Formats: sequence, C-alpha cells, structure tokens
Amino acid sequence: MNGPFLLTLIWIIPFVVALACLLVPHDNHRLMKLFSLVGNLINLGLVILLTLKFINVAGIAPAGSDSSASIFHFAYKTPWFKIMNIEYNIGVDAISVLMMLLTAIVIFCGILASWEVKQQAKEFFILLNVLVAGVYGVFVSIDLFVLFMFYEIAVLPMYLLIGLWGTGRKEYAAMKLVLMLVAGSAFILAGILGLYFESGISTFDLALLSQVRFSDSFQYWAFPVIFLGFGVLGAIFPFHTWSPDGHASAPTAVSMLHAGVLMKLGGYGCLRVGMYLLPEGAQVWMGFFLVLVTINVLYGAFGALRQTDLKYITAYSSVSHCGLVLFGFTAMTFTGLKGGVLQMISHGLMTALFFCLIGMIYGRTHTRTVSEMGGLMKVMPFLSVAFVIVGFAGLGLPSLSGFVAEANIFVGSFANTAAINRVCTVLAVLSIVVTAVYVLRAVNALVNGPIAPKFSLLTDATALEKVPVSILLFCLFGMGIMPGWIIELVNGAIKPIFNNLSR
Amino acid sequence: MTLLLPDLLLLLLAAIVMAVDLIRIRPLSTVSFHLSWAGLLIIFLVLIVLPYDQETIYLGTYKVNGTALLFKQVFVLSAFCTVLLSGSYFTPGGNARGLLRYRSEFCFIILLCTFGMFAAVSATDLLTLFIGMELATIPLYILSGYQKEDSLSVEASTKYIIMGSLSTGFLLFGYSFLYGCAGSLSFEAILAFAQSAPADPLLRLGVLFVMAAIGFKLTIFPFHMWAPDVYDGSPTPVTAFISVSSKAVAIAFLLILVYGPLAPLHKYLQPLLLILAGATMTVGNLGALKQKRLRRFMAYSSIAQAGYIIMAMAGGAEAARSSIIYYLFVYAAANYAIFFIISIAGRDGNEEFKSLQGMGRRNPVLAAVLMLTLFSLGGIPPLAGFMGKFLLFASAAQQGFYSMVIFAALNSTVSLYYYLLLVKEAYILQPATSSRPLVTDRIQRAALLLLTSAIIFLGLMPLFSSNILAVVR
Repeated sequence: MNGPFLLTLIWIIPFVVALACLLVPHDNHRLMKLFSLVGNLINLGLVILLTLKFINVAGIAPAGSDSSASIFHFAYKTPWFKIMNIEYNIGVDAISVLMMLLTAIVIFCGILASWEVKQQAKEFFILLNVLVAGVYGVFVSIDLFVLFMFYEIAVLPMYLLIGLWGTGRKEYAAMKLVLMLVAGSAFILAGILGLYFESGISTFDLALLSQVRFSDSFQYWAFPVIFLGFGVLGAIFPFHTWSPDGHASAPTAVSMLHAGVLMKLGGYGCLRVGMYLLPEGAQVWMGFFLVLVTINVLYGAFGALRQTDLKYITAYSSVSHCGLVLFGFTAMTFTGLKGGVLQMISHGLMTALFFCLIGMIYGRTHTRTVSEMGGLMKVMPFLSVAFVIVGFAGLGLPSLSGFVAEANIFVGSFANTAAINRVCTVLAVLSIVVTAVYVLRAVNALVNGPIAPKFSLLTDATALEKVPVSILLFCLFGMGIMPGWIIELVNGAIKPIFNNLSR
Repeated sequence: MTLLLPDLLLLLLAAIVMAVDLIRIRPLSTVSFHLSWAGLLIIFLVLIVLPYDQETIYLGTYKVNGTALLFKQVFVLSAFCTVLLSGSYFTPGGNARGLLRYRSEFCFIILLCTFGMFAAVSATDLLTLFIGMELATIPLYILSGYQKEDSLSVEASTKYIIMGSLSTGFLLFGYSFLYGCAGSLSFEAILAFAQSAPADPLLRLGVLFVMAAIGFKLTIFPFHMWAPDVYDGSPTPVTAFISVSSKAVAIAFLLILVYGPLAPLHKYLQPLLLILAGATMTVGNLGALKQKRLRRFMAYSSIAQAGYIIMAMAGGAEAARSSIIYYLFVYAAANYAIFFIISIAGRDGNEEFKSLQGMGRRNPVLAAVLMLTLFSLGGIPPLAGFMGKFLLFASAAQQGFYSMVIFAALNSTVSLYYYLLLVKEAYILQPATSSRPLVTDRIQRAALLLLTSAIIFLGLMPLFSSNILAVVR
C-alpha cells in the first residue's frame, strides 16, 4: 500500500464508520460498538504499518537532509479549490506519525472504555468517530486550509459529546469549552490568511511557506496571534479555564481523547505553524510566552493540590503537564523542542489512562470525591495498581514515560543561557515536587486505609476493561524503558524546525 | 435573445399563474402553487445552462452577464423555496396561527418581486436599478400584511411601508446628487465623473444617501431597527423571502454600484464599509443572544450575516464578487432550511425556542438537519457556511484588514453561542409536557433533503466555487 493512500485511508475510515453507524437501527447498540471497535482496530493496524514504513523511509532519506527536499514523507497533493489555490495536500513527518500512533491507541482504548454507553448510543459513536477523523486529518494535512478545517471538525462534536453524555455542570462546561476553542481558531484564521497573502506566493502549502522569509513587521504580530490561537487548545494560561470544567464534565472516552490527543493539537499547531513558519517572531515573543507557560505549569500543579474531585485533579494536572509541552517549545533549544514533543506523547498516554481508570472507578463507587473513598486496593487490586503506576508516571518516575519527556524539557530549557529561561526553569522544576504531593495524596487516599462498608462488595475490572488499561500501561512502560527509537524519529523531525528557528 | 430567456419565462409564468385564478375551479385549488414551483424550477434549469462568460447589453439598457445570471439563480431558488414553504400555510390545519388565503395572488406577487430583482441586477443605469428595486420591494409590503386578521402582521406591514418609503426617499435624494454631478443617470457617465473628480463633495454626499437608503434594505446598523418587528409579524414564508431575496437584491445593488460606477471611490468607501460591517455584525449578534422567538431570532441572525457580507466589500472586485455570490447561495440554503424547520416545529402557531425542545428524540432526522444548518450558519467545517465565511474573510484579508478579520471571526464565535443554544434546545432540553412527534409532509421532506445536501456539498465540491465563480465577470 503506498504512503499517501494509507494516509488518506486513515482519516477516512472513522468517517466511514460514522456513516455506517448512521445506517444501524437505533436500538442495536452492539452492532454500533462493534463497527467502531473494528474500524478503529483496523486503523490502529494501519497506523502501526505507517509507522514501520516511516521508520524505513526516514532511515534511508532523513528529513531535511538536502535543503530543497520537503520535510514531509509520503507527500501527495491535488488541487481542490482553485479559487484560493487550496489543495488537498497530505504528508507526514515523525511528529505527526507519532501523534497518529498515540491517537490510534487512545481511541481504541476509549471505545473499549465506553462499552457501557446506553443512552443514545448511535449519536455518541457517530460524533466520537467524526471527532477522531478530524484529529487524524489535522495530523496528515500540510495545506493550512485543510489543517484548519480538520481542526474545527475536531472541536465541534465536543459540544454534544459533553452536553449530552457528560456529568455535573455539563451544559455550561460544553459551551465554555467550545466557545473558547472557537475563539482561539478565530485568531488562527486571521493568522493563516495573513500567511497566505503576505507570503507573496499565494499558497497554503506548509512546505512552500517554510521556505519564505516573512517580513519582520508581519511576524511580530502574526506569531503571537497564531501561537495564542493554537495555545488555547494547549490550555495556555490564561486561556486554560475551559480545560478543568470540560474534562471533568465529559464522559470517559471523551475525556481520554480530549485530554490525551486533542490538547496536543494545540501544541502541534504552535510548533508546526507558529514556530516553524515564523521563527523571527518566535525569537521576539518567546520570553513573554515563557512566562505564561511557567505560570501554567505551576498554577496547574497548585490547582490540582486544592481539588477533591478525582477528575478535577487530573484535569488540573493536565493543565500543568500540557504547560510543560509548551514550556519545552519556548526553551528554543533542540533538546527543549524534543522534550516538548516527547511530553505530548507521554502525557497523551498517561492522561488517557488516568481518565480511563477514573471512569471505571466512578462506574463502581459512583463518587469521584477522594475523601469518600479508601482501601480500594482490597476490592479492586488491578485498577488500584494501575492507578498507582500511572500516578508515578505523572510525577516523572524513571522507567516510565514521564521521566523521558520531563528530563529533556528541563535540561533543554536550562541549556538556554538567557536569565529568564534559567529562572523560569528553576521555578518550573518545583512543579515536580508539587505533582508528587497531589499524586501521592490522591493515590494514598484512594487505595490505602480502611474501606468503607458500602464499597466492600465492589468487584475488580472485568476482562474487557483490563484490555485498554493493559495496553496503555504497556505503552507507558515501553516508552519509559525503550525511548530510543522514538527519540531518534523526533530528532529527525525537530531538525528542520530548529534550523528555521536558528537561522 | 437566449440570455433574456429566463426573464421572459418569468414574466410569462407570472401572467399564467394570475390567469389561472380567473378560471378558478375550487377556492382551495393548488394549481397555481404547483405551476409556480415547477415553472421556477424550469427557469432555474435554463439559468444553469446559459453561458457565464458572455456579456450582452439589450436595447442599450439591459445587461446580462455572469454575475447577473448567478444572482438570478439565487433569486429563483429563493422564490422556489418560498413557494414550497408557503404550502403548509395555505393548507387547512397546516398552521394554527391562521389559514392564509388567495394562493395564486401570493405566488403572483412572489414572481413579480423576483422579476423586479432580475431587472435590478441587469441594470446599466440608475433608473433601471431604481425601478427594479422598487418592484422588488413594494409587493413585499403587501405580503408582510398577508395575515390580515393578525394584528402583528398588520403592524409589520405598516412598519415596513413607512421604513421602506423613507429609504426610497433617501435613495432618490442621493440619485439627484449623482445626476447633478454626472449629468446623466447611466453608469458610464457616473463612472467617468467619479474618475475625473473622486473627491467632489456633492458626489460623496450623493453616495452617502444612496448607502443609507440601501442600508435600510440590507439591515445595516443603524438602519436595522425595523427588521425584528417585520420578521416577527409577517407570515413565515414571507419572512423567509424577505430575509433572503430582499437582502440578496440589496447586496447585488451595492455590489453593482461599489464595483461599477463608484469604483474610483472604493478606497474612500473602505473605512466606511468596514465600520458599518463591524457595527452591524456586533449589533446583530448581541441582539440575537436574548431572543426567545424563532423568527425574531432569525432577524438578528440575518443582520449579523449582512455584516459579514458587507465586510467582504472592503476587498478587491474579483474576490468580493465571487465570495459574496458564493455566500449568498450558502446563506439562502441555510436560512430556508431553518424556516422549513420553523414551519414544521411551530405548527401550533407559537414559533418559539420551546417548540424545538426534545426534537432529538421526537424526530432525530429533523434535529440532525437543524444542527447541520446551524453549524453552517455558524461557519463550521466541512459545511458550506465555513467555506463561505472563509472566502468572505479572505476578501477583506487580501487588502490587509487582518484586525477586521479577527474581529469578525470573534463575532462569529458569539454567533456560534446562540446557534448552539438552538442545538441545545433540540438535543439536550426535554419538553415539560409529553409532545407528539413532529410530522412532515412530502414537500417539506423533499425541500429539506435538497437544502441539506446543498449545505453539505457546496462546501466540499470544488465544481461550483472554482469553475463557475472563476469565470464570472
């Protein structure tokens, strides 16, 4: 199967699954779940195939090895709308391949974790698959218009997914999340229109635009516009407020997908569109954004400290950890950028597992308040052990994925000799301690101590529930123990971006 | 004469529809109804096959070119949808607000209005433009008061007449200045004068009055006040027709003037257009936030949409023309889809937000159509509204008005909030009392199918946007 075809297939399959669900009668929930599961299993297989192919190709012709070659592999383009030179233009580099792999794993586990959805299952699976198609679409597209289009497709289904199947203040949270993200994309829209008209070559092609040197005056206003626009989805301070409410109200699979993958779209866009195309703007503005994301990292950690609801704890820790992604980027060093990308993957796996476990525990105890629980190790050892491990991943224990990413981020950030970078790094490192406090406190309260009588009859995870948890645990350990191949891939993809930044 | 065929057919159709009434068979006869929509469909097909890249001037005053043909398509489709939409309102039991009567007169007036719009987009001088505009507007005064026994409808009609006459007065006053400057009413003479003396104060005064006059029809701030009352009082099919056709012809009017005889003034008009656009979309969006009645809500929504369209006129001729025409199709499709849904859900006479509650369960297909339509109006991909808004914004961005693009896109986010409120009514909220399922008849289903596929495919198929709009002159 040739590369471009594979890429197209990967984002089309979820759409096809959504259409297939449309044709299934309303009460046949089993068939819909089966469709979604099989479709996403096929997709997982295809993405693994893509990764293997990519490792092969990237080994032969490293990206950016000769200056004229595009950094994207498996590229293919065909005109779509002639009216503004909009092309269906796809291709991948190592970052997008790894993000697609993450997406495939998370959504597969997410479908398994939402096996119990009963209310309006048809609409749920249709929307979930559309959302996934949008995510894949963002990662495969090189044309900025197409990228923006998929980006919006990925955001909108969230409204109904949270509003209909969520818990708590779901309507408020859904509306807040969607409006903040769409407001962010208003800035992105102005930014990409600016790129189109100011480049002088009237194209949305990322590969071509990266060759253009934009005028400084344009970069100075366009960079913050684009970085903030995408940054909203990356929960950059002070535009992170949608994240705790949204994640806490969303149903399990949606929290997994949103915190695990969708938030990474923000970081991906910041890196791919903002820093890659507008390096001079990035140089000027980075100090400002560094301060913002340092606040993110600390504020998220301290916020998590004060929460009593498990989902809110995880949501605030997401704000802190996603802050680390951008923190790595704002370091402007090779290692820092690499750490940021690694953190995207690591946090994706980790937070997906967090939300998955919380969903399963909530399904049994019907409460998410930490203080009401305790001693769960006695009745559900599997879930408890998994929870402990993912907690360790969160605080960056070596041999788990979090360590690999955070080590790179902090080393990379400290390597930048500017005073502000050094100070911010020292401050941000503090977050690790705070993270240890809230993670260990939550874990301790959850699994140790005496068990409440009403929980003593609860059962451990079923075989079906063990599958997604095991897959995600395996990935967490895999990335922690054998990060070599991932780092090698990421190195290749970071190089052209870093070259642009330091030109 | 082939390029004139649609205009002639339309006149013929109007005459036939009126004549049918003279040999009336039954009081509730549907002959004129079926005749009208079938005839309009034929005219639309004729319009599609005509060539877009020619320009012919008949008798020295009646010009037909690609732009005119595309505008005529919008008008014909709009009239077609209005006729279909009116179906249930003329059927006993179709709507609790009251049965409309005199169906063939209704169809005749719609057709006549449409002919006026045809004339307006074919004008080569101010006089034809004026006559076309008036022919397109005066019959609407009658239509908005069509529900004679309903005081709201009568109020709407009265308000519309007063406001409309005032705007006509403004228009003629502005014309007199233009005539005084150029010494002629033809576009050529005005263009020549504007080129030689773009800074002439009398010319600018004239343009200002013309803009104010057209501001009434296009519901531009601060001339938008009449819209909510008229939209709310008129019978629903008439509201739909006013919100699409009447707005489209006003946009065509502005487009013809701004990029035709007044082209040399464009760079002076840009700031004015941008300020009007920004104010209009903000007022529309803020107004819509608190509405509880669907037609009133649509009035504010369409005021905001007018703002986006005006913004595109700050761009260059090519970009503005193609993006605005494209957006008109998209806007028309979405608006009619919503009005069809209003006519179905508001069968009990109260066309309010509450009528939509529980639609996700009562009629899932209809709810899905409503959601797609609202997302299209809000500019969400991959629906047509996204592509339309993108092109409108690009038209302004091309001239470097990036901050305006950000402002408009943020405004569009506000609009997404109230469109999502409707989605919430339909999907998330449940009605207090158990309600009956929403029934649709064959015509409504067919029309909604057509409009929904337009909403989905206009945004994805490049055929229309690139191949046709690229050759428009």
